[in-house]
Parts: sequence; C-alpha cells; structure tokens
Amino acid sequence: MSFLHPLALLGLAAAAIPALLHLLQRRIPPQVDFPPVRYLSAAERESARRLKLRHLLLLILRTALIVAIVVAAARPLVPLRGGGAHQPTAAVLILDNSPSSGAIVDGAAVLERLRVAARSSIARTTSADRVWLMLCDGVLRGGSREAVLATIDSTRPGWLRLDLVQAIERAARMVNAQPVVGREVHVLSDLQRTALASGQAVVPGGVRVLALAPGRGPSNRGIAGVTVSEGAAVIELSGAMLDSGGTPLPVPVTIRIGAGPNRGEIAARGLATPGRERSGGATRAAVTVSLPAQSLAPGWWVGEAALEPDELRADDHRPFAWRVAPPARAMATPRAGSFVAAALAVLQAGRHIIDGRDVVISGGDLPSSPHAIVQPPDDPALIGQVNRALASRGVPWRWGPLSTPGVLTSSERAGLNGVAVVRRYRIEGGGSGEAGAGDVLATVNGEPWLVRSGSVVLLGSRLDTAWTALPAAPGFVPFVDALVNRIVMGEAGVSVAEGAPHVEFRTRGTDTTGATVFGPDARESDLTPATTALVTAALGGKDRTSVLSADRFAAEGFSGTRRADASGILVLLALVLAAAELGVATRTR
Amino acid sequence: MVQRLDLLDPAEVARLGGIEIVAEGVVEGFLAGMHRSPFRGFSVEFTEHRAYQAGDELKYLDWRMLGRSDRLFVKQFEEETNLRSMVLVDASRSMAWQGSPERLTKRAYADRLAAALALILLRQRDATGLVTFDEQVRQLIPARVKAGQWTRIVRGLLDTPDGQGTAAHAALQRLTALLARRGMVVLISDLLFDRELALAALRYLRHRGHQVVVFHLMDPAEIELSGPPEVRFKDPESAVSVVVRPRELARAYADTVRREIAAWRKACRRHGIAYHHVQTNMPFGLALRLLT
Repeated sequence: MSFLHPLALLGLAAAAIPALLHLLQRRIPPQVDFPPVRYLSAAERESARRLKLRHLLLLILRTALIVAIVVAAARPLVPLRGGGAHQPTAAVLILDNSPSSGAIVDGAAVLERLRVAARSSIARTTSADRVWLMLCDGVLRGGSREAVLATIDSTRPGWLRLDLVQAIERAARMVNAQPVVGREVHVLSDLQRTALASGQAVVPGGVRVLALAPGRGPSNRGIAGVTVSEGAAVIELSGAMLDSGGTPLPVPVTIRIGAGPNRGEIAARGLATPGRERSGGATRAAVTVSLPAQSLAPGWWVGEAALEPDELRADDHRPFAWRVAPPARAMATPRAGSFVAAALAVLQAGRHIIDGRDVVISGGDLPSSPHAIVQPPDDPALIGQVNRALASRGVPWRWGPLSTPGVLTSSERAGLNGVAVVRRYRIEGGGSGEAGAGDVLATVNGEPWLVRSGSVVLLGSRLDTAWTALPAAPGFVPFVDALVNRIVMGEAGVSVAEGAPHVEFRTRGTDTTGATVFGPDARESDLTPATTALVTAALGGKDRTSVLSADRFAAEGFSGTRRADASGILVLLALVLAAAELGVATRTR
Repeated sequence: MVQRLDLLDPAEVARLGGIEIVAEGVVEGFLAGMHRSPFRGFSVEFTEHRAYQAGDELKYLDWRMLGRSDRLFVKQFEEETNLRSMVLVDASRSMAWQGSPERLTKRAYADRLAAALALILLRQRDATGLVTFDEQVRQLIPARVKAGQWTRIVRGLLDTPDGQGTAAHAALQRLTALLARRGMVVLISDLLFDRELALAALRYLRHRGHQVVVFHLMDPAEIELSGPPEVRFKDPESAVSVVVRPRELARAYADTVRREIAAWRKACRRHGIAYHHVQTNMPFGLALRLLT
C-alpha cells in the first residue's frame, strides 16, 4: 500500500487524543450534595461492567475514527488483484532465447512456452506503457507494442548465453530510470541454475521482478569443448544421460574431419565414459580420439565432434580446428643455455623438430636466421649491443633495466600462468596501439615478458632456473615446442568464442595465423533449473522478486500499479464509526 | 377570584407567609373542597337517624331501616374526640435538601404538610401530637386536643433544627412507648434509612393496633438524575460520595429509584401500612387528599 500524501500520516499522532483526553479529564469533579447516594451506588454497582465496556468501546471507536480520517487524508492506494487498468508502467521483457531454449520438453521447444508468456505480457500493455525486449544478446529493443510483438514472434533460439543476473540488473536500471508509476521486469527463461551463478542482482526499490517458473529440465549432454594437440582430439562432454538406475551412460562420439570434397568424412569414433560428480552437480566426461595427422597435408584443418541427437540439439556438435605443419628446423646457440638445449633434444627425439637453422634460439646475440628466439645475455654489459642489433633488424622492442620479480600471466599460453620469475629485464618499446599490444604474449606484473615482432621473439628472462622456474616446470618442453613451431612462426593459435558453430581463420597478409572456433557456451548444456529460492535470491531478493506459475504470472503482470484510492472507503468507514460513536455515546442504557 | 392554596404550587404557597398562614390557607381550601370532614368514617361514631333530604349522599342511607319501615332515613354521625394522632416528621440533614431553588426543601414541605394535617385533625377534635427526629427524637409534643395545641405543634416544627443522620427505627421505637392508646401515626420522611429496621418499628405500631400512614417524600431531582458531565455526589448525612456521569447512569438510577419505591409500597401493603409517594412539587391539597 502506498499513499498519495504520506505526510498526512503524521496526523496519526492525533489518535492518541481520545486516550489523552481520557487521562486529562481525570480532574477533580465538582462536588454536589445528593441525599440518595445509596441509590446511586446501587445503580453504579449494577452498571459498572456495562459502563466499563462502554467506555472502552468509545475509546476504541474514537481512536479508530481519527485513524480512519487521517489515513483517508493520506489518500492510500491499495493494490487490486485482477481486473482494472494499471497505471503507466515501464517494463522489460527478458526473453531468454539462449541455446538451451531450443530444448524439446514434452514435445515442444522451451522457447515456445516462453514466447506464449511473453505475448501474454505484451497483450496486457497499454499505449501509456513503455516496453523493451531483451534477448540473449543483452540488447534492449524498444519500440511500439506491435514491433515488440513481431520481434517476439520471430525470435529463434540463439547461440549466446544469457547471464540472467547481469540482464536483470540492466533491465532494472532501465525501468528505474523511467518517469512512470510502475516498473517491472518480466523474466521469461528456463532459469538454468548455471545462468544464475554470477552472484545476486542489485534491483532498485520499486522495481518488481516477475519470473516465470521453470518447467521440467530434461537430462542432456553436450560437447563442452574440443582440444586438439599431439595428433589427438580431446572431446570434453557436459551433462549426462542416465539409465534407469541413475547411472550415467557411456556416450558415443563421432569425429568428422576434412574440408572441401572430403568434408564430413568420418575420421574416428570414441566412447566417452562419464566422469565423477563435480561440485556443481554436473557430470563431465572426456574422450580422446587420435587424429590421422600424419596422413594430412600441412595446413589448417577443420573438424567436427558430434553426439547422437537428444533433447537439445545445439550442443550435440561442435567444430574444431588445428594446424598440421612440418617440424621446424631448429637449433640453439651455445649461449642459449643447457635447459633449452635439453628441451630441443627431447623435441628432436620426438620428431617435433629437426636439426636446422630456420629457427635459432640464442642467448644474448641476434642470429641471422629467418626466425630467431632471443634470450637476454648473461652479461648486463652486452644488453646495449643486442638492443642495437634488434633495432637494426627493425625490432621495436628492447631490453631495459632489471625489474621486479613476479609470476607469469598469459592468455595465449595457459601453461605459463603462475610460473615464478625471479629475475628479468623489462622489455620496453614495441609498437603502439593495438598492434603493439597484440605482440605481447606473456607479462610479469603487467610488463611484457614474452613479445613477438615479425620473425623475432624476445624473452624477458633467460630460460634458466636462476631466472625463472619455467625450465623446471612440466610445461617447459611444450612451451619450447610452441616457441619454435608456432609462436616464432607468427601463429596465433586457436581460440574459442561463443556463437553459432563455425570456424573463422585469422590471417596476416596471405598467411593464416590462427583460428577462432565458435560454439555455444558449455554451461548451456546443463538444463537443470534453479530452485525458487535460488532464483529469488539471485534476482533481487524476495521483497522484489516473485517466481510465478504461468497462471499467476499472467495475473500478476502489471498488477503492481493496479491500485485504487481507498480514501472513499475510509471516509465511509469514518462515518460509520462516527455514527456508532454517537449511538454509543448517547445511549444511556 | 379566590384561589385555593391547597392546589397551588407548594413553593408559591410557601412564599405567602409562615407555616401557620400557609397551613391554615391550605386547610381552608382543602376543607372547602371536601364539604365535610375528610376523615369521617374512621374517626367518628354513629349517633342517630334523620329523615332523608334531597342532596344527602346515598351511601349514608340506612338500607335496613328502609327494609323494615319502607321509609328513608340517613345515618347521623358524631365526631369522636378521643382519636389520638401523632405526626412524625423526619428532620435529618437529607431532608434539608432541595433539587432546585424553585422548590421547597423536603423538610420545608414536610413541615407545612404536617402543620396542615395537624390543623385538620385538631379541627376534628382529634388529639394530635408531633415528633421530630433525626438520629434521636428532637421534639416531642404529646397528643392533645386543647386550645393552642396547633400553635405548639407549629412551634415544635420551627424549633427543630436540621439534624445529622437518620435513626427512624430508634425514634419509632420510642414513639411506641408513648402511644398507649390506639390511634393514627403519620410518618413524613424521605425514607433514606434502613428499610428493614424502619419497617420493623412500623410493623410493631401496626401490631399494637395503630393506623400507620407513611408519606415517602422525594424531590423530583431525586427521581430523575441530572447534572454536569461528571460530578461527585456526596451524601450530606454519611459523607459517602461517589463520582458518576449522570448522563450515563440516569436510566439505571431511575430504575433503582422505581424499584426502591415499589419495594416500600409492597412492604407497607403487606403489613397493612398506608404508603404514599409524594414529590415536593405536589400541591399540598393533593398530598392531603391521599389520606381520604
């Protein structure tokens, strides 16, 4: 309940007047001689109980009368359930068309159920309302009621995951900024628990969040990711199919590789065995399938991992890309250090490299090979000489003074993250803008540690345990492998992005330097709906958020502003109270 | 035009003069209206017959004589001179109260009523006396019929001051010892004392053969409660007080008074005592007529 004139409620203090008057009237009454006091006493004894009740009733009636008048003056607005027009309302409809909305439940797509509820909400809007539609891309779409309705009708399951917590916050901020009476956010989503994992939304007061209660969440498994390395594809699965006893069933996985006329050729099959239960309740399984890399020609290859169809088709297949290249011809100069020499020997033994001078790893000098990986010199006095050689070869980077120890951070090479660096030179210079930033492959304390410029790669530390713990780490040999086979070659690697399943290649000039593999977020595969308590807590708290069944959702929508001025009823009540007070006060028996 | 004082407002009549003047005026008017002694029949004895004349009341016709001789005779009565009457006037403090300055106090009304009653009785040559009392007997004038008795009674009324409490029981008990011969006892009081004790004494008088008459005197303001919104009513005799809101209690109080009057009336009737409720705004003639 709200009030048009809340300041009038200060008048409620007047409700104490009857009680105060009662107390103040306890003054000494005038004294009068009256002989038949004995009759008075008898009459009073007989009427004492009635008189006490009468006094109490009068006190209650008078207090209630004042309260009724004061509250009526404050013009209370009481919410109405059902019926009646609502006041102008700003509303955002969040229609969650993320990939999971394409799941088939009880013979129909989840999105269709959400769409029906969205149409119902739109149908109750009036020309005075302001309505926006937010889909899984997070974009707020305004417009006329008809335009929004058309957008709803044309919506199909998308490929982007919708973080409901962030979406609610954005929507709530939007409606809260509108100069209207009502502010509502309608959440039409399958309310996956994974969509609510990013904390709790901050919803301003006065904004109502109405969430359609989720339906049944079917069992589902999907391909969470595909990683190709060492001639094998590791396919990670999410979700599980359970047998009648609740035991996860093995999942057959099919790998198709090839491009052009050979595209779609079945390269391998595997059977993924479900893994252990994870903390989030989701099960993960992985299968490793060998790829016939030796028979593939050098270059970039695209493949696809696929599962048998289930209720959610969007996550049943996922593309992947990898590069087939001949081993690099690499060697190390004597100043490169013993750890580098040992790593190259291992790689050579594994046929990852062959002996040659295409790639040279040096220590303090700049080789004249086509590709060079340069470590700083042992002797600080040689820093200037090497910097000048780098500059003459057109490398914009140079070593500066010794800098602070720290740990490695790299978005390109996950294996480097967290490795300690105790001694390093600060790498300075480089290109400006995005190009320069793109050449920084790893940092320490925010400063470049591994940079690339053309065919030259610079390291901030020597690959020696006196400088960094990297040579003693398990990922050292793979790191050196990546250095000589990919990084120094200018290859950017394969990255993953959210979107419709496909592969995009990155090029530099005529060279393909990397690829981006698009696919749905792995969290979309977990169709388990969140509990009502979790939804309420994550979407603004129980004071603002309601999780409602379809019927109640339809009834509650825009009901926050269906209010009626109750002052008339209160005035009527006051009149009734006044009449009752008059009747009781004048009644002598 | 000559006005009958017995039918005028008591307060207006009282303004004409003292008790004697008022009582005489009331009695004159009262007797003129009655044509005959109002108390004939209980205070007179049969003496002889005489021939019926037109205008004689038929109730005095001797039907037995008519049956024997077929002649109309009426009975002649001789006034009795040895009837003894005692008028008891309550002089307690409660009697000195008036509900309005426009009315007489209960005591003033009682004095004038007693004086008039005594005058009538003396004119009938009945021996009449007076007792005034509150907690004790204040004045005792034995019943006599000699000249100057009425003046003594009036003087006795005037010499009795307003008293304190009321002890009718004690006064009535003492009176029983003084009334050796059968007679009439008239009690004029507001009856604000213990009903059972007073009735015990009155019953005793009745048992001794006395004719007992009770005038229950009340001010109209004692019947209908009124006053300011809240007031402390104090009993002038006992100092007992009670705080009430008259408007709230009026109905219950009126019911209580009605029940009290009914209780007195019922108790008196049960014991052969004549009970009359008189308000101080009732003309004296009407009050006296209650006795006939």
